[in-house]
Amino acid sequence: MQELAVEMSNIMKVFKGVVANDSVDFQLKRASINGLLGENGAGKTTLMNILFGLYQPENGTISVNGTQVVIDSPSKAMSLGIGMVHQHFMLVRPMTVTENIMLGLPSKRWPFLDTAKVERELVELSRRYNLQVDPKARVWQLSVGEQQRVEILSALYRGTEILILDEPTAVLTPQEANHLFEVLRIMRTDGKSIILISHKLEEVLTIANEVTVLRDGRLVGQAQVTAETTKRDLTNMMVGRDVLFKFDNQDSALGKIKLVAEGLSAKNDKGLMALNKISITLHAGEVLGIAGVDGNGQKELCEVLTGLRPLLSGQVILNGRDLTGENPKEFIKTGIAHIPEDRHKTGLAMNFPLSKNFILKEFDSPNFSRRGFLNFKAIRENAELRMDEYKIKAKEHSVKAKDLSGGNQQKVILARELSSRPEIIIANQPTRGLDIGATEYVRQKLLEEKGKGVGVLLISADLEEVRQLADRIAVIYEGQIMGVLDRSASIEQIGLLMAGVKGEGVEAC
Amino acid sequence: MLKVWTVTKRILVSILPSVVAVALAFGVGALLLLVAGKHPGEAFSTLFMGALGSPNRIAETLVRAVPLMILALGISIAFKSQIWNIGGDGQFMMGATCAVFVGLNLNLAPVLLWPVTFLAAFLGGGLWGGLAGLMRAKFNANEVITTLMLNYIAMHLLSWLIRGPMMDPNGQGFPQTALLAQPLQLPILFGGTRLHFGLIIGLLIMAAGYFFWRTTVGLKIELVGESEHVARYCGIQVPRTIILTMFISAGLAGIAGWNEVFGVQYRLLDDISSGFGNLAIVVALLGNLHPLGIVISAFFFAALMVGGNTMQLMVGIPFSLVTVIQGLVIIFVISRVVYTQWRDGLAIRRFNSRVSGQSSGRSH
Repeated sequence: MQELAVEMSNIMKVFKGVVANDSVDFQLKRASINGLLGENGAGKTTLMNILFGLYQPENGTISVNGTQVVIDSPSKAMSLGIGMVHQHFMLVRPMTVTENIMLGLPSKRWPFLDTAKVERELVELSRRYNLQVDPKARVWQLSVGEQQRVEILSALYRGTEILILDEPTAVLTPQEANHLFEVLRIMRTDGKSIILISHKLEEVLTIANEVTVLRDGRLVGQAQVTAETTKRDLTNMMVGRDVLFKFDNQDSALGKIKLVAEGLSAKNDKGLMALNKISITLHAGEVLGIAGVDGNGQKELCEVLTGLRPLLSGQVILNGRDLTGENPKEFIKTGIAHIPEDRHKTGLAMNFPLSKNFILKEFDSPNFSRRGFLNFKAIRENAELRMDEYKIKAKEHSVKAKDLSGGNQQKVILARELSSRPEIIIANQPTRGLDIGATEYVRQKLLEEKGKGVGVLLISADLEEVRQLADRIAVIYEGQIMGVLDRSASIEQIGLLMAGVKGEGVEAC
Repeated sequence: MLKVWTVTKRILVSILPSVVAVALAFGVGALLLLVAGKHPGEAFSTLFMGALGSPNRIAETLVRAVPLMILALGISIAFKSQIWNIGGDGQFMMGATCAVFVGLNLNLAPVLLWPVTFLAAFLGGGLWGGLAGLMRAKFNANEVITTLMLNYIAMHLLSWLIRGPMMDPNGQGFPQTALLAQPLQLPILFGGTRLHFGLIIGLLIMAAGYFFWRTTVGLKIELVGESEHVARYCGIQVPRTIILTMFISAGLAGIAGWNEVFGVQYRLLDDISSGFGNLAIVVALLGNLHPLGIVISAFFFAALMVGGNTMQLMVGIPFSLVTVIQGLVIIFVISRVVYTQWRDGLAIRRFNSRVSGQSSGRSH
């Protein structure tokens, strides 16, 4: 009997010139749980969508149970025994559990449905795998955890031998997650092979017996999970230690306090707690780095510090002014510049010309409008000045933002945010997805701002970036600051905190 | 010189799809006529002459075009903000109702009363549509549904008013209000026609529409339409902007109603909006949501209506042909979007198959 359930080799996938998977090899043993680790954008989901037949790879081969196959559609994947539970459930809410599972399957009593029989089989199946769901319940009545069970049941009912779960615990409470792990263990004992996509180290160590790590679309490591495997090993694999640049980052005496944030708590979009009483102090002329694995509250922290997300508790004070509960406009006016994580969805109006993107936050200032009318001459001149100053490569200022490269788009945001002469800058993953030149430029600019006495809060999952730019490094884990380290801290020290382990030599915040 | 050419080219490229849509609509219309055993050439020339064949006909076409263009301008403002205001009819009626109410009950000189009624019409329409904006902003109620439902409420409200509280006391029971006093009726521009001063007002409003997109409020509305997420990030209060957008959009529909009652009907009647509200959606889309494009397409649709009536009278081709052509224009305008998506999708698939073809060739 073939030992490998799935073998993908040399998989290459390109989206509009962006390489999502670059010669990736992936192996899944039979009766095994493989944790597929990597940060957002590392190419995990792309790789699995290829295995499930949603995308076609540009290159590479896939073997299932030792036979080379071409998977050109999800139905082909299902016929090969591959099932996938997506992050967003594919269930019809007004229908019952049984009806959802019957969808698309042939009925043995055609043209009639054999609901009763399917229901009996479902009860049997859910007993076997400890997946309790009422088959008669309608999907909208179920909790998120129960809906996930329906998805898994549905995959099992279709005879799935290889199950892909895309970040299954992202929507679960810890108790539900534990229950899910129990189910997965039963399935493994039963001979099923499971791929668990995740960026949470903890859960991979808990449940998986092998682990595959992707970074920037490449395979960086494959390992058996043993008692000796530590979070630190995995963190190093995920984040990498390549040193790209050297910066002349002057040590500076702490200036006066610019931003005080105290006891910040907030929920994420799914309604789960994302920030748990976080406190941060940012001084003039310093870069405070926030290191951490993605999804530990970084995005929410940025949003509460810019007024975009409501606070459950806590206070935000800039230059002595209490901004708690104010709308985003007040945050901007008081001098908080924000380089958001997502250029496309948040930072730029993609269908607007560059000239307008430069003034999105201050078009009603007297610089760019008079008595409610836009001053197009000033807007044009401003655009030409900024394009020149920030070396933005575009034919002219009327080019739309979506037609620029990622690096140039980021420069447009930088130009807009920095030209507002901010008091502090909140930069969330400012170099993610940029090429080397643009990355260096962005980092240089942030350091220049620091030199001018601006407080910079740098949130980055790239440890090297944080270590190069930051004067102090705070590590965020599950919505809490684990500790604040000096810039000379070793990567191991930071890595431990990133994994949620409090080590020695760490001061409280 | 080069610059002039690039600008001309850009204009041509932007109007080309609309021209093609209209041409295709007429093409299919001609086929239908052939099938019905009529002569398309004769039908279309009667249509053309009926709309533009004499100064009087042109005046009639303009009389119809004015409310259409004001309505369509209002709709275009909402559409640019990705707010689908399809309640033009209801807002038109509420604007007309408020204007007539003030016009009949307030005793002022026309020079003063015109601005007051104008304002009343704007407020009447604006508040009616603003209600849908409020529901969208506060409760995320789909504005397509709310504006549509408000149309029916407005229609029945109007119907009750002209049979009840606002009925003409000397009207022998006709469901209509009393006439507006003679001096209040907008002056006729050319004797012997119905073309009234509203044309000038309409064109001024369209010019204002052009400049609207050059104001900070216009930019704000455009930005919310581009992405509510980006707008929020830029410090714009999105719910407030949505309500404002609906208020302005619907206010203009109210002005179109004012124009109709003060320039043409001089009183409130059932069906005062004559379906202008729905037609104006097509006018706005065919005009590419641009004020100048809207003026042209409003004139085109007005000509279709006026010419269609003549066609029915002169050569016995039913007016429904005009409705068919209107429908076809909608289909072709919309299929342009589908076509672009299909073409882009095709290009991506071709590109992918070429890339994978090359790479599989290498691996052998």
